[in-house]
Amino acid sequence: MRLEKCWFCSSIVYPGHGIQFVRNDAKIFRFCRSKCHKNFKMKRNPRKVKWTKAYRRLHGKDMTQDATFEFERKRNRPERYDRNLAENTLKAIKKIDKVRSDRAAGYIKKRLDKDKNKKQREAKKELEQGINLVKAPEAIRQDPSLTLPSKVKVQVQVEEKCHQMEE
Amino acid sequence: MGKCPNRKVKKRRFSHKTARLTKFLRKCDDAVYDELQKPDAEKKALPLEEDLPAMGQYYCLHCDRYFASLTVRDGHFKTKRHKKRLKQLVEAPHTQLDADLAAGMGMPDNGPKLMSI
Repeated sequence: MRLEKCWFCSSIVYPGHGIQFVRNDAKIFRFCRSKCHKNFKMKRNPRKVKWTKAYRRLHGKDMTQDATFEFERKRNRPERYDRNLAENTLKAIKKIDKVRSDRAAGYIKKRLDKDKNKKQREAKKELEQGINLVKAPEAIRQDPSLTLPSKVKVQVQVEEKCHQMEE
Repeated sequence: MGKCPNRKVKKRRFSHKTARLTKFLRKCDDAVYDELQKPDAEKKALPLEEDLPAMGQYYCLHCDRYFASLTVRDGHFKTKRHKKRLKQLVEAPHTQLDADLAAGMGMPDNGPKLMSI
């Protein structure tokens, strides 16, 4: 059973699913669902359609380089059947798949975290710069209650606690 | 034959465009790109074909169109549509191999080369 990849969105095409188009120059195009087939008929470029894997790879949204990508390949040569090898491969598939999905999730998380910090910094800067729009600078100087909430270190009185413990 | 939508005259119910569908079919991007990548030595002279305009002698490779005369073709080369097409065909079109690589597969394993050329 060979699991093919969709021409348009690169998802897996399971046997009995999707549609296959053979052009009159004998080139084969497989599609996982009618959505992909229709997009192909509209002559859309998968590199420019945001929901495809090709777009996400090209624009650094997904992990591009990883050692786990080397395992799944199309093998165009006959392999002699070896029972032990087949068993070990089946075991390894699960492990490799887990490693890969973990790494992919980690990559996305890292990418989003960087964005989050940046957004927060920018928002804070904007607030600091635009505070004059809310209240005049002179008013703030007289009544400093309207300022940005900043993190204040709370000094925990350790000594007192110690005394209580002693008592 | 496809039905024609929004036709008020009931007698002519079918669209004639479907009958001439081949006239509107264009070569796909990758076929055109392959043709463009061929070295000049491989490119043959345009064959004489009676059905095409001007015996199929004035052809635009990028847009896959035949023209009636040289002046018309040169006029086409100046159009926005043609220039857009030129830009499109600079980079290689998407292929099944690209799709496989994007899905997280490695390059295909063809084994060791048996014959040295």
